[in-house]
Amino acid sequence: MSANRLHQLKGHILPENKATAMGSPSPLTTHVLNTAMGVPGSNMALSLYRQDPSTNAWSLITSGATNDDGRCPGLITKQMFTPGVYKMHFDTAQYWESMGENSFYPYVEIVFTIIDPGQKYHVPLLLSRFSYSTYRGS
Amino acid sequence: MMAAAEYSPLTTHVLNTGDGVPAARMALSLHRLDSKLMIWSMLSVGTTNTDGRCPGLIGREAFSPGMYKLRFETGSYWESLGQTSFYPYVEVVFTISDREQRFHLPLLMSRFSYSTYRGS
Repeated sequence: MSANRLHQLKGHILPENKATAMGSPSPLTTHVLNTAMGVPGSNMALSLYRQDPSTNAWSLITSGATNDDGRCPGLITKQMFTPGVYKMHFDTAQYWESMGENSFYPYVEIVFTIIDPGQKYHVPLLLSRFSYSTYRGS
Repeated sequence: MMAAAEYSPLTTHVLNTGDGVPAARMALSLHRLDSKLMIWSMLSVGTTNTDGRCPGLIGREAFSPGMYKLRFETGSYWESLGQTSFYPYVEVVFTISDREQRFHLPLLMSRFSYSTYRGS
Protein backbone atom coordinates (compact mmCIF):
# COMPACT_ATOMS: atom_id res chain seq x y z
CA MET A 1 0.00 0.00 0.00
CA SER A 2 1.22 3.55 -0.63
CA ALA A 3 2.88 5.58 2.14
CA ASN A 4 0.06 8.06 1.81
CA ARG A 5 -2.64 5.45 2.32
CA LEU A 6 -0.76 3.95 5.29
CA HIS A 7 -0.55 7.39 6.87
CA GLN A 8 -4.30 7.86 6.34
CA LEU A 9 -5.08 4.56 8.03
CA LYS A 10 -2.82 5.38 10.98
CA GLY A 11 -4.76 8.58 11.51
CA HIS A 12 -7.96 6.57 11.92
CA ILE A 13 -6.51 4.06 14.36
CA LEU A 14 -4.27 5.97 16.77
CA PRO A 15 -6.31 7.84 19.38
CA GLU A 16 -5.39 11.45 19.96
CA ASN A 17 -4.90 11.68 23.68
CA LYS A 18 -3.44 14.66 25.46
CA ALA A 19 -3.58 13.41 29.05
CA THR A 20 -1.80 10.10 28.80
CA ALA A 21 1.83 10.15 27.76
CA MET A 22 1.88 6.35 27.60
CA GLY A 23 -0.78 6.45 24.90
CA SER A 24 -3.64 4.59 26.62
CA PRO A 25 -6.97 6.21 25.94
CA SER A 26 -9.21 7.65 28.65
CA PRO A 27 -11.52 5.00 30.20
CA LEU A 28 -14.19 7.72 30.24
CA THR A 29 -15.26 9.38 27.01
CA THR A 30 -17.98 11.70 25.85
CA HIS A 31 -19.49 12.81 22.54
CA VAL A 32 -21.66 15.87 22.13
CA LEU A 33 -24.15 15.87 19.27
CA ASN A 34 -26.21 18.87 18.20
CA THR A 35 -29.35 16.99 17.22
CA ALA A 36 -31.12 20.14 16.10
CA MET A 37 -28.63 20.75 13.34
CA GLY A 38 -27.40 17.21 12.78
CA VAL A 39 -23.79 18.05 13.54
CA PRO A 40 -21.28 17.32 16.30
CA GLY A 41 -21.36 19.82 19.17
CA SER A 42 -17.90 21.21 18.60
CA ASN A 43 -15.96 23.74 20.69
CA MET A 44 -18.22 23.24 23.71
CA ALA A 45 -16.53 23.85 27.05
CA LEU A 46 -16.88 21.02 29.54
CA SER A 47 -15.40 19.81 32.80
CA LEU A 48 -15.16 16.59 34.79
CA TYR A 49 -15.46 16.47 38.58
CA ARG A 50 -15.23 13.75 41.21
CA GLN A 51 -17.13 13.94 44.46
CA ASP A 52 -15.22 13.59 47.74
CA PRO A 53 -17.20 10.89 49.59
CA SER A 54 -16.56 12.37 53.05
CA THR A 55 -17.28 16.04 52.34
CA ASN A 56 -19.54 15.68 49.26
CA ALA A 57 -17.53 18.50 47.70
CA TRP A 58 -16.73 18.33 43.99
CA SER A 59 -13.13 18.52 42.86
CA LEU A 60 -12.20 19.38 39.30
CA ILE A 61 -10.34 16.67 37.41
CA THR A 62 -10.22 18.10 33.88
CA SER A 63 -11.59 20.99 31.96
CA GLY A 64 -11.50 21.25 28.23
CA ALA A 65 -13.60 21.63 25.14
CA THR A 66 -14.96 19.33 22.48
CA ASN A 67 -13.08 19.07 19.22
CA ASP A 68 -14.56 19.34 15.70
CA ASP A 69 -16.06 15.88 16.09
CA GLY A 70 -17.74 16.79 19.40
CA ARG A 71 -15.34 14.61 21.38
CA CYS A 72 -12.88 15.42 24.16
CA PRO A 73 -10.05 12.89 24.36
CA GLY A 74 -7.94 12.60 27.49
CA LEU A 75 -10.66 13.25 30.06
CA ILE A 76 -9.01 11.12 32.72
CA THR A 77 -6.19 8.62 33.11
CA LYS A 78 -6.64 5.00 34.16
CA GLN A 79 -4.75 5.72 37.39
CA MET A 80 -7.03 8.58 38.38
CA PHE A 81 -10.22 6.76 37.43
CA THR A 82 -11.12 5.36 40.86
CA PRO A 83 -14.62 4.22 41.92
CA GLY A 84 -16.85 7.07 42.97
CA VAL A 85 -19.42 9.62 41.92
CA TYR A 86 -18.46 11.81 38.96
CA LYS A 87 -20.03 14.78 37.25
CA MET A 88 -19.67 16.02 33.67
CA HIS A 89 -20.54 19.69 33.26
CA PHE A 90 -21.31 20.95 29.74
CA ASP A 91 -21.47 24.69 28.99
CA THR A 92 -24.42 24.31 26.66
CA ALA A 93 -25.87 27.86 26.83
CA GLN A 94 -22.48 29.31 25.98
CA TYR A 95 -22.37 26.95 23.01
CA TRP A 96 -25.74 28.12 21.67
CA GLU A 97 -24.90 31.75 22.39
CA SER A 98 -21.75 31.47 20.30
CA MET A 99 -24.10 30.65 17.43
CA GLY A 100 -26.36 33.58 18.26
CA GLU A 101 -29.13 31.48 19.81
CA ASN A 102 -30.72 31.21 23.22
CA SER A 103 -31.60 27.95 24.91
CA PHE A 104 -33.64 26.60 27.77
CA TYR A 105 -30.75 25.15 29.79
CA PRO A 106 -27.89 27.34 31.12
CA TYR A 107 -25.76 24.20 31.37
CA VAL A 108 -26.13 20.43 31.57
CA GLU A 109 -24.68 18.36 34.37
CA ILE A 110 -24.69 14.59 34.30
CA VAL A 111 -23.86 12.85 37.57
CA PHE A 112 -22.97 9.18 37.43
CA THR A 113 -21.56 6.42 39.61
CA ILE A 114 -18.48 4.40 38.69
CA ILE A 115 -18.33 1.10 40.52
CA ASP A 116 -15.96 -0.84 38.24
CA PRO A 117 -13.26 1.46 36.80
CA GLY A 118 -11.91 -1.45 34.76
CA GLN A 119 -14.75 -0.97 32.29
CA LYS A 120 -15.03 1.70 29.62
CA TYR A 121 -17.68 4.34 30.04
CA HIS A 122 -19.07 6.51 27.27
CA VAL A 123 -21.30 9.38 28.43
CA PRO A 124 -22.65 11.14 25.32
CA LEU A 125 -24.85 14.22 25.26
CA LEU A 126 -27.39 14.67 22.49
CA LEU A 127 -28.87 18.11 22.59
CA SER A 128 -30.95 20.80 20.99
CA ARG A 129 -31.90 24.21 22.38
CA PHE A 130 -34.91 22.73 24.19
CA SER A 131 -34.02 19.10 24.88
CA TYR A 132 -31.20 16.77 25.77
CA SER A 133 -30.53 13.13 26.43
CA THR A 134 -27.73 10.93 27.62
CA TYR A 135 -27.09 7.24 28.06
CA ARG A 136 -24.36 4.91 29.18
CA GLY A 137 -22.67 3.83 25.97
CA SER A 138 -19.62 1.85 24.99
CA MET B 1 -49.53 23.51 49.35
CA MET B 2 -51.58 25.24 46.66
CA ALA B 3 -55.33 25.74 46.50
CA ALA B 4 -57.02 22.93 44.58
CA ALA B 5 -58.20 25.14 41.71
CA GLU B 6 -54.77 26.61 41.00
CA TYR B 7 -52.49 24.89 38.52
CA SER B 8 -48.73 25.08 38.69
CA PRO B 9 -47.22 26.87 35.67
CA LEU B 10 -44.43 24.32 35.94
CA THR B 11 -45.24 20.63 35.61
CA THR B 12 -43.26 17.45 35.20
CA HIS B 13 -43.93 13.84 34.21
CA VAL B 14 -41.51 11.04 34.96
CA LEU B 15 -41.60 7.95 32.76
CA ASN B 16 -39.73 4.75 33.46
CA THR B 17 -38.81 3.85 29.88
CA GLY B 18 -37.04 0.71 31.01
CA ASP B 19 -40.30 -0.83 32.18
CA GLY B 20 -42.75 1.20 30.10
CA VAL B 21 -44.59 2.63 33.09
CA PRO B 22 -44.92 6.00 34.84
CA ALA B 23 -42.33 6.39 37.57
CA ALA B 24 -44.51 6.49 40.65
CA ARG B 25 -43.41 7.49 44.14
CA MET B 26 -40.23 9.20 43.00
CA ALA B 27 -39.08 12.01 45.26
CA LEU B 28 -38.24 15.28 43.59
CA SER B 29 -37.56 18.88 44.54
CA LEU B 30 -37.66 22.30 42.90
CA HIS B 31 -34.99 24.90 43.60
CA ARG B 32 -34.36 28.47 42.50
CA LEU B 33 -30.94 30.07 42.24
CA ASP B 34 -30.46 33.23 44.28
CA SER B 35 -28.47 35.17 41.70
CA LYS B 36 -26.92 37.54 44.28
CA LEU B 37 -25.75 34.90 46.75
CA MET B 38 -25.27 32.24 44.05
CA ILE B 39 -26.85 29.57 46.16
CA TRP B 40 -29.82 27.30 45.50
CA SER B 41 -32.86 27.53 47.71
CA MET B 42 -35.42 24.77 47.79
CA LEU B 43 -38.95 25.89 46.85
CA SER B 44 -40.89 22.65 47.09
CA VAL B 45 -40.49 18.94 47.63
CA GLY B 46 -42.82 16.29 46.37
CA THR B 47 -43.31 12.75 45.20
CA THR B 48 -44.70 11.62 41.88
CA ASN B 49 -48.15 10.05 41.94
CA THR B 50 -49.11 6.77 40.27
CA ASP B 51 -49.16 8.59 36.92
CA GLY B 52 -45.60 9.87 37.42
CA ARG B 53 -46.80 13.44 37.90
CA CYS B 54 -46.37 15.89 40.75
CA PRO B 55 -49.05 18.60 40.78
CA GLY B 56 -48.62 21.80 42.71
CA LEU B 57 -44.88 22.31 42.22
CA ILE B 58 -45.09 26.10 42.37
CA GLY B 59 -47.67 28.86 42.39
CA ARG B 60 -47.87 31.49 39.68
CA GLU B 61 -46.88 34.35 42.01
CA ALA B 62 -43.77 32.54 43.20
CA PHE B 63 -42.76 31.69 39.62
CA SER B 64 -40.48 34.67 39.00
CA PRO B 65 -37.95 34.78 36.15
CA GLY B 66 -34.64 33.17 37.02
CA MET B 67 -32.68 29.95 37.05
CA TYR B 68 -34.41 26.87 38.40
CA LYS B 69 -33.44 23.29 39.08
CA LEU B 70 -35.61 20.19 39.24
CA ARG B 71 -33.89 17.41 41.11
CA PHE B 72 -35.20 13.86 40.66
CA GLU B 73 -34.18 11.16 43.16
CA THR B 74 -33.79 8.55 40.44
CA GLY B 75 -31.19 6.48 42.33
CA SER B 76 -33.54 5.99 45.29
CA TYR B 77 -36.34 5.14 42.90
CA TRP B 78 -34.40 2.29 41.26
CA GLU B 79 -33.19 1.11 44.68
CA SER B 80 -36.78 0.82 45.86
CA LEU B 81 -37.30 -1.52 42.90
CA GLY B 82 -34.28 -3.56 43.94
CA GLN B 83 -32.11 -2.30 41.08
CA THR B 84 -28.95 -0.31 40.58
CA SER B 85 -28.64 2.61 38.22
CA PHE B 86 -25.87 4.58 36.54
CA TYR B 87 -27.11 7.94 37.84
CA PRO B 88 -27.50 8.61 41.61
CA TYR B 89 -29.93 11.44 40.77
CA VAL B 90 -30.86 13.69 37.86
CA GLU B 91 -30.84 17.47 38.02
CA VAL B 92 -32.28 19.55 35.20
CA VAL B 93 -31.31 23.21 35.34
CA PHE B 94 -33.35 25.64 33.24
CA THR B 95 -33.99 29.34 32.73
CA ILE B 96 -37.41 30.97 33.05
CA SER B 97 -37.65 34.36 31.39
CA ASP B 98 -41.40 34.58 30.75
CA ARG B 99 -43.48 33.64 33.81
CA GLU B 100 -46.72 33.84 31.81
CA GLN B 101 -45.96 30.73 29.83
CA ARG B 102 -46.45 27.17 30.96
CA PHE B 103 -43.47 24.91 31.22
CA HIS B 104 -43.65 21.13 31.12
CA LEU B 105 -40.41 19.33 31.95
CA PRO B 106 -40.78 15.59 31.52
CA LEU B 107 -38.07 13.12 32.42
CA LEU B 108 -37.90 9.89 30.47
CA MET B 109 -35.51 7.55 32.16
CA SER B 110 -34.19 4.02 32.44
CA ARG B 111 -31.40 2.65 34.61
CA PHE B 112 -28.77 3.68 32.04
CA SER B 113 -30.25 6.64 30.15
CA TYR B 114 -32.47 9.67 30.46
CA SER B 115 -33.82 12.49 28.39
CA THR B 116 -35.74 15.67 28.98
CA TYR B 117 -37.29 18.37 26.84
CA ARG B 118 -39.30 21.52 27.15
CA GLY B 119 -42.87 20.47 26.49
CA SER B 120 -46.31 22.00 26.76
